[in-house]
Amino acid sequence: MQPYELTLAAAAAAIGARRLSPVELTDSVLERIEQVEPQLRAYVTVHAEGARRAARHAENEIAAGRHRGPLHGIPMGLKDLIDVAGAATSASSRVRSGHRAQTDSTVAARLSAAGAVLLGKTHTHEFAYGLTTPQTHNAWDPGRVAGGSSGGSAVSVAAGAATFALGTDTGGSIRVPAALNGVVGLKPTYGLVPRHGVTSLSWSLDHVGPIARTAEDAALVLAALAGHDPRDPASLTAPPAHYRPGPDTDLTGLRIGVPRTYYFDHVDPEVAAAVRSAIDRLQALGARLVDVEIPMTRYVQATQWGLMVPEATAYHESSLRTVPELYRADVRILLEAGELMPAGDYLRAQRSRTLMRQEWARLLREVDLIAAPSVPMTAVPAGQETVTWADGTVEGVSDAYVRLSAPANITGLPSLSVPVGHDTAGLPIGMQLLGPPLGESLLLRVGHASEQTRPTGHLAALAAPC
Amino acid sequence: MPYAALTPPEAARWAHRAGLVLPADRHAAVAATADHIHSVVAVLRELDFGDTPPAPAYRATAAKETHDAAV
Repeated sequence: MQPYELTLAAAAAAIGARRLSPVELTDSVLERIEQVEPQLRAYVTVHAEGARRAARHAENEIAAGRHRGPLHGIPMGLKDLIDVAGAATSASSRVRSGHRAQTDSTVAARLSAAGAVLLGKTHTHEFAYGLTTPQTHNAWDPGRVAGGSSGGSAVSVAAGAATFALGTDTGGSIRVPAALNGVVGLKPTYGLVPRHGVTSLSWSLDHVGPIARTAEDAALVLAALAGHDPRDPASLTAPPAHYRPGPDTDLTGLRIGVPRTYYFDHVDPEVAAAVRSAIDRLQALGARLVDVEIPMTRYVQATQWGLMVPEATAYHESSLRTVPELYRADVRILLEAGELMPAGDYLRAQRSRTLMRQEWARLLREVDLIAAPSVPMTAVPAGQETVTWADGTVEGVSDAYVRLSAPANITGLPSLSVPVGHDTAGLPIGMQLLGPPLGESLLLRVGHASEQTRPTGHLAALAAPC
Repeated sequence: MPYAALTPPEAARWAHRAGLVLPADRHAAVAATADHIHSVVAVLRELDFGDTPPAPAYRATAAKETHDAAV
């Protein structure tokens, strides 16, 4: 096994035991990037020399007995919405040409303090306003979409071109590409991970979180990211929690809600079957399955759009007036049309969110968590714009990918996507676990238990070592 | 309630009132997209909000805030 194939937890253990040096690991991942980037295009920029320098520094510190923790010497990628001092935050957009971040974002600073090694910045759908990341190719089939908007982060992790990465999630942008590339993605509770220094799509829906190869890896990253920062007005002051799942996979007594409605409607039969099998395996570990009714499903898309569209347009107000031609066509038209939304629509969406939060809080008193598909279908071929369901309903690809993610963005609830299998075309399928506010430890424990029921943490088949 | 689609000139005028001058070749596309967005969000008018306030945008007492998550 090559170092780039290691999970974060395995690499950290090897580094801690001096069986692997951060320099060896980083060199291995950088070579892997050179090998797979021509076909995957996950990165906007790769800082190879900076990464090697940081790895040598980590190696020297560890040799001197100053081991900072599990992220020390671990190479990672940051979605290119996340500021790193001195580097461009391109947002994968020509609008940001010549940009240079003055200071580190909170999450970049925290990863740096934990000793993580920055490999480079990964591609996003332009300004995170889309679900496909067209510049980047799916790690399992380059002819299919990467998913988005954190497509570069998910593809890099799936291909072994980063040991972990960060993404952002406004309507599924961590969980969708994680599911489509067979890796783990965590959208934490709203406000748990500070967003200071992270380019916004929609302030009231934005989250930052880890993309990794296992739930345990995601837990190790979350531990370094979580914690109050007053520079993010939504930042919570919750005390530090222990996120790393233990070895015990016993789920006896846990009440897992299985949606009767919404989450299994208009879902590809192979996806539904794989997720139901995964839920059955959780039941075999002792969990009790409870049928639940998902509240206010008719208003999910309306609330998501009612919040996101005007907030995104507001963020881009200045550049939409000065350099509109620099946006890609799909993003520009949404920003322009957002100018026409009345304040009454936005306020109705905010009031609907209040009702939805109340209803989900009630639901999560009946069960400990909810298990459902992450996305309704696996990665579609690049360029496909719609999907036709068995009843003849035609749905936009992006609308379909957002559909099952949006409730957790609207309510702020934590949501974890874990891989649970593949369809007959060999494409990954993801299961979503939703829990109560600050329920990350529980979700990661159940995600970890799920992983123990089947092989996991492998690199994408296409990008497997040759 | 039936809703009349925005005409391209109306889209241009609404955008102008919002401070955005749209080139003429954008009027029709922006009108169509704005109509689609409207058709999605208009369903919220079915809800009886009563005294329901909008979800809070900020907390004046942030310094005293404790374990207050989104729900």
